[in-house]
Amino acid sequence: MSELNAALEHPTYNYKVVRQFAIMTVVWGIVGMLVGVLIAAQLAWPALNFDLPWTSFGRLRPLHTNAVIFAFGGCALFATSYYVVQRTCQTGLVSDKLAAFTFWGWQLVIVAAAITLPLGLTTSKEYAELEWPIDILIAVVWVSYAIVFFGTIMKRKADHIYVANWFFGAFIIAVAVLHIINSLAIPVGPTKSYSIYAGTVDAMVQWWYGHNAVGFFLTAGFLGMMYYFVPKQAERPVYSYRLSIVHFWALVAVYIWAGPHHLHYTALPDWAQSLGMVMSIILLAPSWGGMINGMMTLSGAWDKLRTDPILRFLVVSLSFYGMSTFEGPMMSIKTVNALSHYTDWTIGHVHSGALGWVAMISIGCIYHLIPILFGKERMYSTDLINVHFWMSTIGTVLYIVSMWVNGILQGLMWRAYNQDGTLTYSFVESVSASYPGYVVRVLGGGIFFAGMLVMAYNVYMTTRKDEALAPAAAAPNAA
Amino acid sequence: MIQHTFGLLTRPSSQWQTIADLPEKSLNTLAIYPVVLAILPAVAWFYGTSRVGWSVGDGGDVIKLTVESARLISILFYAAMLGCVAVIGYFIHWMAHTYGAASSITKGIVITSLAATPLFLSGAVGFYPLLWLDMLIGVAAVSWAVYLLYLGIPIVMGIPQERGFLFSSAVMAIALVILICLMVGSVILWDFGAAPAFTD
Repeated sequence: MSELNAALEHPTYNYKVVRQFAIMTVVWGIVGMLVGVLIAAQLAWPALNFDLPWTSFGRLRPLHTNAVIFAFGGCALFATSYYVVQRTCQTGLVSDKLAAFTFWGWQLVIVAAAITLPLGLTTSKEYAELEWPIDILIAVVWVSYAIVFFGTIMKRKADHIYVANWFFGAFIIAVAVLHIINSLAIPVGPTKSYSIYAGTVDAMVQWWYGHNAVGFFLTAGFLGMMYYFVPKQAERPVYSYRLSIVHFWALVAVYIWAGPHHLHYTALPDWAQSLGMVMSIILLAPSWGGMINGMMTLSGAWDKLRTDPILRFLVVSLSFYGMSTFEGPMMSIKTVNALSHYTDWTIGHVHSGALGWVAMISIGCIYHLIPILFGKERMYSTDLINVHFWMSTIGTVLYIVSMWVNGILQGLMWRAYNQDGTLTYSFVESVSASYPGYVVRVLGGGIFFAGMLVMAYNVYMTTRKDEALAPAAAAPNAA
Repeated sequence: MIQHTFGLLTRPSSQWQTIADLPEKSLNTLAIYPVVLAILPAVAWFYGTSRVGWSVGDGGDVIKLTVESARLISILFYAAMLGCVAVIGYFIHWMAHTYGAASSITKGIVITSLAATPLFLSGAVGFYPLLWLDMLIGVAAVSWAVYLLYLGIPIVMGIPQERGFLFSSAVMAIALVILICLMVGSVILWDFGAAPAFTD
């Protein structure tokens, strides 16, 4: 890519690493979502397991979660954070070599995950399935990332540290702490290790990690994106800078306590469960602070909506963010959780955040970035962005609604009993009743996935047209 | 009132225009629209769950609710529908100023209930509770209602389309939040006395 884009290099900023991560965001998005569609189809039509261990649901599901969270989401976060930190600090990255190492190191982690997970090598910790050698690589890459990011902030030319960098910074530090503490293990071979924690403590550490992977990886980092790209795309200042700082500290202080709601009615002490529930409910306030700030920033730019489908992605992603951060606290209430836990409602909730918020805002940001990075005025086709927008929205809605219906249905069926005290339904009846929902989910996920293919084509055409253009057309400074 | 129902289903754009042109007083009368239409789903589901029943899987036994239980749940269902319409209507009014439209609580409620017409009508599937069929019809009705909302807000509020798009999206976000409240409310009520009682 280097010789192709030699003419695009910015005099001050390192766009190369941003470009690499931006392209890989699209690539890993497609891979991760394809695996997602496949395992969704396996739940509707189990024959798609092919009776092979490597393609069974239990092995592919962690591959899907790792690919979409850490490969797709991770690349989007690397790309945007490297871009934002340079633009807002008005200086290049502190070390281009170290930045290149984070890119290749991160890709190596992803490839290693894609090989080991289908082979069945797993720690069995959710969202932290990778075995210890890969965990060490992640830690090294992540610390390098922190050095590049904070080093760049330290050599900044602007006085002020813009709020987006606060969110990115919190995300980088928190993920380092979470990953290292949760992954502590005693290796017994190159592909096998045992967690140093035992029993309930292991479960608590795991969900302290698990929920904050959502809180910091999938929320704080993406709020960092929101605080740069929403005002940028709307061409308006942030609605309330004070609100952004207040909800930053509230979010950071509260999120870390919410993990126990994953362990309601387990062996975890009751007070810890209740504390987790209370903290989860309080979390609504800082979450909505971010949503309100984004929405109010965007609502002044309504006149641009006709011509700018990227804004639509941002508007809708904030709506889904608001909805899912409301749903989360509700589901953490013990009474509700008694019904919703272990049902598809949880899966629907995760995807309203993952598809509606994380993926949509990443897609919006990538559409904003690609033309800038490749020296173009705009994406190859605005109409295709619009098509992608509708496919993403419809896909997400179908997904969420089918899982809501299934979740409530399963929860109610499992607890229904007759007047003589016997259960009204057997378990397999609830599986059978879930079938239509599973089919609708495959449809919704498939539409969302197809939207990513439309995006890939659009991105490819945007970058390709570049070869035909004179090298002088480089670097439009849309800062 | 009935002409609005059919109008919105057959020629939605011009019907919304007619509604937009209604004088304040006729708009106020329209506030009883949801009170009437919500009867249909409540009665349908009462009948369907207590008299017809449903079965799961192939050749399973027919499952029914006892009449008392179905009556209580249907009354709560009716109240919940009206409550949701009222709350969403209030929020439409509350946000109208932000999006540059003049409004009243009644106007908000009328827009909400008219846009929900397909949902009210599709409630009739309750007469015959068959899961996959009800879900298909339900999804179609939801899509239709969302379409009516996006179409109607700019017309009735008299604001440009782009602004209407943002307004409608905000209403959708509120509606989703209300929907979650509804789900959570059902679960909590289940624990506090309104659990369905099945016949044996």
